[in-house]
Amino acid sequence: MFWKKKRLDQVDPDTPVKTIADLINQLKSNPDFTHFKHKGETFTCWVSFIQTMVDVDYIHRDIFPVLYSNRVHNIADAQATLPVEKIIRTKDMAVIQSKLLEGFIIIQENENRPDCLVIPSIKAQGRQVDQPEIETSIIGPRESFIESIDANINLVRKRIPIPQFSVEEMRVGKMSRTRVCILYVEGIANKENLNTIKQRITDLEIVNLIDATNLALLIADNSNSIFPQFLDTERPDRVAGAMCEGKIAVVVDGSPTALILPSTIVEFFAAYDDYFLAWPIASSYRLLRLFAIAFSAASSALYVAVLTYHYQLVPKDLMGTLIVSRSSVPYDPIIEVLLLEIMIELLREAGARLPTKVGQTIGIVGGIVIGTASVQAGVTSNILLIIIAMSALAAFITPNYRMATTIRFIRFPFIISAQILGLLGVALCFMAFVCHLIKLTSLGRPFIEPIYPVRVTDLKDAYIRLPLNQQTMRPLFLRSGDAHRSNQKRLLAKKGKHSPDIDE
Amino acid sequence: MKRKITLTSLFLCFIFLAGCIPTSIIDDILIIEGEGYDYIGNGKVIGTITMPNFVQSGNQGSQGAGMPTTASMIRNLSGKTYDGKSLVDKFQSEGQRVIRPGKIRLILYNKRLAKHGLAKQLTFRNRDPDVPRDLNLAIVDGSCKELLTSENYQTQIPIARYVQDMIIHNNEQNYPDSDLSTFLYAYYGTYMDPFMPIIRKKDDHIEMRGLALFKRDKYVMSISENKAFIFKMLYQNFNQGVYDFQFAPGKHIALRNVHTSVSYNVRNGNSTSPEIFAKVKIIGQVRQAYPGSISKATAPRMERKLERDLAYQAKKLVHQLQKKGIDPLQLGDQVRSFTYHFDGKSWPERYRQAHFHCKISVKIQQTGISS
Repeated sequence: MFWKKKRLDQVDPDTPVKTIADLINQLKSNPDFTHFKHKGETFTCWVSFIQTMVDVDYIHRDIFPVLYSNRVHNIADAQATLPVEKIIRTKDMAVIQSKLLEGFIIIQENENRPDCLVIPSIKAQGRQVDQPEIETSIIGPRESFIESIDANINLVRKRIPIPQFSVEEMRVGKMSRTRVCILYVEGIANKENLNTIKQRITDLEIVNLIDATNLALLIADNSNSIFPQFLDTERPDRVAGAMCEGKIAVVVDGSPTALILPSTIVEFFAAYDDYFLAWPIASSYRLLRLFAIAFSAASSALYVAVLTYHYQLVPKDLMGTLIVSRSSVPYDPIIEVLLLEIMIELLREAGARLPTKVGQTIGIVGGIVIGTASVQAGVTSNILLIIIAMSALAAFITPNYRMATTIRFIRFPFIISAQILGLLGVALCFMAFVCHLIKLTSLGRPFIEPIYPVRVTDLKDAYIRLPLNQQTMRPLFLRSGDAHRSNQKRLLAKKGKHSPDIDE
Repeated sequence: MKRKITLTSLFLCFIFLAGCIPTSIIDDILIIEGEGYDYIGNGKVIGTITMPNFVQSGNQGSQGAGMPTTASMIRNLSGKTYDGKSLVDKFQSEGQRVIRPGKIRLILYNKRLAKHGLAKQLTFRNRDPDVPRDLNLAIVDGSCKELLTSENYQTQIPIARYVQDMIIHNNEQNYPDSDLSTFLYAYYGTYMDPFMPIIRKKDDHIEMRGLALFKRDKYVMSISENKAFIFKMLYQNFNQGVYDFQFAPGKHIALRNVHTSVSYNVRNGNSTSPEIFAKVKIIGQVRQAYPGSISKATAPRMERKLERDLAYQAKKLVHQLQKKGIDPLQLGDQVRSFTYHFDGKSWPERYRQAHFHCKISVKIQQTGISS
């Protein structure tokens, strides 16, 4: 029977190959594995590396000349004379194997003995630091993370050049062996949070870790929740800002996003631009976003509820418009709404999947052909078309893409419950989501924190953003090591005695 | 696990039973906007309902795509029934689609029905959860059916909306607030009587005719529009009313009040002749005046004249109400609120004996841009 068939022998990359000869034999058949014996006048050694992983120019220019020179008599000499820092001399097979596969050069005196030098010569390949594409901002820094973890750490570290900036590295994925780094500021970041995140990452049982958002799903408090519990960002300035608040950042090699944790729901609706504008303006933008999201989640559901059950609620002057535009529609409001909602989702999905060159067609097909034609054909009403288009627009206002998908998804339970029980259904559905949100945690910290539990000091940077000099406390829910960001007394102290007139 | 099964089955019940809930999809129902009752004697009425027809002018959306419009087509229905019958139920069998009363804005009664008594109507209205509380009631001087179904108005908008707009904007000026909820409050409340405006169809339009005052559910008397200002002045705080004062034969002055406040005081509330003191403060501006009759210097003199006239008119009005034994100004309620251990049983007799004092202070703030 097939289920009784013996599984393939599981390859566990953690257990090193027995001897170095085994390792070399195993790799030998690969065309990009280079293994040769160098026989010099004073020193003979075996050199092995994977050609596609190392920087060949660098080896030829800086390593081989030293190795081949007459000054080197033995492996200790080589270690002393090579102009490379961080040369490791080891007999540990685990280290040798993993370093070799990462792009280090192995130099042995004897082919069969594990005593060797491990010289770093990793080929740095990848794109340059570029402008952010998802979290664009009009003013402010224009750097975004790239796929190289070292470059990413550099981008953050240069914004926090203090010795307390700590990096802890671990590897995740049985096969991918992906480098995952935890960044935090010692003394500010909460120890408990740090231990939780370390434990969650080390406990992961996966084969392949591709991306930071992938990691976010794996270590989420509630993996069934539709709400993203950790903020993902591609802006190093945002990560640095969060770390100064006492949050912890996680970067994953090969991923152009970093995770900020723990995070609360309001952060998903805060754009980093908010900190570059005067506080009344920034606050009104935040409120605008909040209303847009409420509108986006509820509008089509309210349309269904009101038009199906609660005709009493329609204002008398809107009544005529609604009835006229619906009079030629053959379907119930629910069918009409679902039809258009799904159409919009199709358009969005098609726009995201299509190559850029064809992408423009989608706008024309979606906006003009489907929109206008469906109204003219009497399949949907004018009013609904406006509502759906506006709610789609409002959903894209969310600065965070993962939260935007949540907001778009959330509409459907609302629409269906509106059809089942009218406004009561909408209220029940809302209640269910509120219950879920109240129970939800992010790294064990309450997810909707300034609202529940109510923390008045944190409300200063939630729906509205008060002036920066009033935000002297770090977010309370972080339980940060140092609660105060700045000395409020000193900040608000009056400076000088004389206050001159405005033109003095 | 058991909990999960319970929750899932509950949720499935919701979904599968959803079809059993009666819906009222907005374009598949006939929405009543106005009702009218004409009394024809012997407990019978002619009831009329009107429904708006929005798609009369064709559907812009379909652009001749051949879709027949499915919105309401019936404009109005009327028929004979007994007073106190729900017209929604009465006409359901004649409706092209299901008739829903949730957006009634206007209920009209003719004068004869009001004299006969509205008790059956009112208990029914108070019991009916479908009908909104902010609809407007009015007495029609003439036939409700004719008013509601006539085709020869100047305006094309649905008649119920026309009438309601008229009543509402007048309620913001000279007429006291009157919708179903205030009417029912005064009807069911003790020591008070309800009132509603009177309207009339005049050729190709409709006009307000004054205020109809009730004794319990029966129409007793009416007051004219200028008197409605006096009534409203004693009834509630308001602004934007206009009082036309004839200070000498053929010489008028019109005052628009910017603010009017009224306060009451009562002495000897339980005696045979309670004394009711009303204190009214009027701040106003002159809208029109007889040439040379008013200037900044002569304004105080005009103020005194106005005060005397208004106080006289107020006393006259209250005296009239006392003679009829009706209390739409809710003076009885005022007396009760000022009197410890108020004797309510003997109030109807004592009300006629009550002394009404009225002190009015008028302040003319402005006499026009070129005073």
